[in-house]
Amino acid sequence: MMNEFETRLKVLGGLMVVIIALLIARAGYLQVYRGDEYVRRSDGNRTRLVPTVASRGTFFDRNGQSIVENRPSFVVSLLPLTAPIQPEVITRLSVLLQVPREEIEAKVKAHTGYEPIRVKNDVGPELLTVIEEQSELYPGVIIEVQAVRDYLYKTQGAHILGYVSEISEAELERRKDEGYKTGDIIGQFGLERVYDQELRGVNGGELVEVDVTGKPVQILGQKEPVSGHDLYLTIDWRLQAATEKAVDDQLALIGAKAAAAVVMNPQTGEVLALVSRPAFDPNLFVHGISEKNWQAINENPYDPLDNKATTGEYPPGSTFKIVTGTAALSEEVVTPTEQILDTGVYWLGEKGNAGGEVLGWLDFTSALAHSDNYYFYEMGYRLGVDRLEKYARMFGLGEKTGINLPYESEGLVPSRAYKEKYLEDEWYDSETLDAAIGQGFNLVTPLQAAMVMGEIAANGQRFQPYLVSKIVDTEGNLVKAYTPKLLSALEVPDNVIRLVQQGLRDVTKEGTAAGVFGTNFPVDIAGKTGTAENSQGADHGWFVAYGPYSNPGIVVAVIVENGGFGSQSAVPIGKRILEAAFGLDGSVPVVSVPQKKQG
Amino acid sequence: MNKRLLRRLDFTLIFAAAAIILMSLVVIGSATHINTASGGSFVQRQGIFAILNIALAVFLMNFDYKMLQRYGMRLYWINLALLLAVMLFGHSALGAQRWIQIGPVSVQPSEFSKVIMIISLAALLEDRVGKLNTLQDLLPIVGFVGLPFLLVLKQPDLGTSLVFIAIFLGMVFAAGVNLKLLGAFFGVGLLASPLLWHFLKDYQKMRILVFLDPNVDPLGSGYHIIQSEIAIGSGQLFGKGLFEGTQSQLDFLPENHTDFIFAVVGEELGFVGAAVLLVLYLVLLWRGVRIAQDASDTFGMLLAVGITSMLAFHVLVNIGMTMGIMPVTGIPLPLMSYGVSALSTNIIAIAILLNIYVKKQRLLF
Repeated sequence: MMNEFETRLKVLGGLMVVIIALLIARAGYLQVYRGDEYVRRSDGNRTRLVPTVASRGTFFDRNGQSIVENRPSFVVSLLPLTAPIQPEVITRLSVLLQVPREEIEAKVKAHTGYEPIRVKNDVGPELLTVIEEQSELYPGVIIEVQAVRDYLYKTQGAHILGYVSEISEAELERRKDEGYKTGDIIGQFGLERVYDQELRGVNGGELVEVDVTGKPVQILGQKEPVSGHDLYLTIDWRLQAATEKAVDDQLALIGAKAAAAVVMNPQTGEVLALVSRPAFDPNLFVHGISEKNWQAINENPYDPLDNKATTGEYPPGSTFKIVTGTAALSEEVVTPTEQILDTGVYWLGEKGNAGGEVLGWLDFTSALAHSDNYYFYEMGYRLGVDRLEKYARMFGLGEKTGINLPYESEGLVPSRAYKEKYLEDEWYDSETLDAAIGQGFNLVTPLQAAMVMGEIAANGQRFQPYLVSKIVDTEGNLVKAYTPKLLSALEVPDNVIRLVQQGLRDVTKEGTAAGVFGTNFPVDIAGKTGTAENSQGADHGWFVAYGPYSNPGIVVAVIVENGGFGSQSAVPIGKRILEAAFGLDGSVPVVSVPQKKQG
Repeated sequence: MNKRLLRRLDFTLIFAAAAIILMSLVVIGSATHINTASGGSFVQRQGIFAILNIALAVFLMNFDYKMLQRYGMRLYWINLALLLAVMLFGHSALGAQRWIQIGPVSVQPSEFSKVIMIISLAALLEDRVGKLNTLQDLLPIVGFVGLPFLLVLKQPDLGTSLVFIAIFLGMVFAAGVNLKLLGAFFGVGLLASPLLWHFLKDYQKMRILVFLDPNVDPLGSGYHIIQSEIAIGSGQLFGKGLFEGTQSQLDFLPENHTDFIFAVVGEELGFVGAAVLLVLYLVLLWRGVRIAQDASDTFGMLLAVGITSMLAFHVLVNIGMTMGIMPVTGIPLPLMSYGVSALSTNIIAIAILLNIYVKKQRLLF
């Protein structure tokens, strides 16, 4: 029947076959030909790698005392998974946590993805209890636990330890080859920065299956994190505390704001204490520093983040006479016994001692003890700038010591080359006189000042300063040990060093530091004061010292910015550090004292 | 239903339809997490309605489809009235006004209107077969379909309105329309389509743009297509297994028990499962065409062609959509997608096919 339409119905039948064939072909293309690709995309949809942050290594002092730890911190966060956070929840949270509404709203607005929005860090147990017990009033509010750095002693040793914070975009870009990822905590300063790779450990993680809202459904795989290594420092934490107290007390007494102190063992290079003022509290950075705190740090004219002990460059003042004196004796431009008459005003440059003091006839040791400028002008004049430069460099000035802290400064050694290069001018003899007494084109860091003094103490040996004695893993196995490293030795006759040592000892006996040390100081100390002229303001006060004189176990360098005379500003600090080191303040001695003339 | 009738049933068609319905219940179960505590009662509901409609279909076998011809025009007016009622009293879902609440059931009149459209158009065309050669012949038919078409488009339900066009084309084609005339008519329609663009709602325009490139809006309209393609593709040859499809079970795949149910088939049962389902549809459609060929009268032939065109269009557009070769129009997959209105419509349509088949054989005896 209906033959006239048979053809058309056959066409319709053919169309049905074509439609189904087309759909089967498309399914085959998606499922068989491109199936692997879609499997990957489907896995990408449903799996999330949730990192388990490795526990960061901690710090111990040389005696095994814990300095830095990790503590749990409770963070109140918002997690708008299924529904947006209700305004009344934000209001309640704002009141409860005392965080401004606008701040929370801004964070919620800027939020994308499924990461929690952190509202407040370090929330106390009382508030956490409120949120937990009234959880129906806080839908979408969660409490997270985070391990954060705990610098147990706040500002103490801040410039040694440094601080940590979340890695910045720029830093991530630069260091992503080293395995850093977004959101990683990274050491930003001090040892935290230098030893970041050792401290950070290896993050683990969980491969979690999530649903479309990002809610975990099951754990597919797990990788345990490997804790970071612990650092044992060369620092003696008690001496560090005593040094900081000595500095702080003196700054308060004389109304100065900035200072630095370095305490080392001259025979090994171990740094026992290292102080810079003003300081900062590294704990402020652990959750990302607040605007207010950052402003306080940033606007402080004395730059608390600057480690003045290693980066501060100051004219060495009279402490440089150690170099000038060593050069003069070694180059035999003067004999130890030659008497030179200080007539007040040196003929070239028409300068003399500060305050116009005239000291009369002086030999080498008494000139050093009394820090006579006239005598050392003459030495500078006899040596010339080139020989002065040679000896300064022999002492290691003008180059980094290589201490394991970031951003170390080189200082500046007086030289013709420098002046020609940067000032395009020739060297004048009067500038040699300035250089000879540690002024002019002459800059050192407090660490370098300690090194110079330490080389005299160690009979010419120059050891590299270091802050970490060993690195151990969490099981206590030694990963790496650091031993003293001899960098160089002074190429000068033994008797020259001995003469310089004698002159420096007389500084505390009868010279510029004798007033502070008095006659009864129970340990023989060699020292040198300095007063560095400063074009910006009041003079900087210096004091470098070592002791015991016969077998030095400790060298100290102290500078007080704008502190005036070193003998008045820096020497009292140095004396208190030495007292603490030798146990003279009733504490356990850091450095053993040879039995002699007690009382 | 007597034994003679039973022997004359098209068992191939019944087998194909029953197999698809069974597959549907299993896959809806998987898509609605029936294996978990939070699973819904979708399977139960769909199953009950399937049984009720099959019972209704069995009951309808006692009647002769030919009586429908007499009610053609009346049904047409009832259809228009229903569609107007939706416009006036319907409540909206997903931006479209399509539903009328009757007791506990939300009814989607536009689903039933498809079958009503087929019956009334078949009645209208019955005595015009072979006489569709001029514009004057065709225009009344166009107007006849055009009125309900515009009402549905206004709801707005682009999918159903396109189904009307598919039904119209299939039936006038079978009715022997002059192909040049049809071609010319199509040409005009194509030229007018930019005008039609202005009548589309923004979300409908977006659907078409997204169809051309899903990445236009990957988290919005394009999301459905992208996730559906991922689901199907990741099923590979043998599928991830029932209840194991991560795209579906973890809710990455939206509307996985309704419009996107084919993606669940593809993901959990693989290419093999998808191909089996498609072959079942081919059997269904092939039988539809065969029944049209063997129908005892022109009315039956036209009915069968209309029903087959409707089903074929649904299969093509719905499955094509889940695989990214058709735009998202919200057309359900016949006998597979969850939804009682569509299920009822399709079972009744298949009952009509069976009825036409039975009556043809009676003639031969």
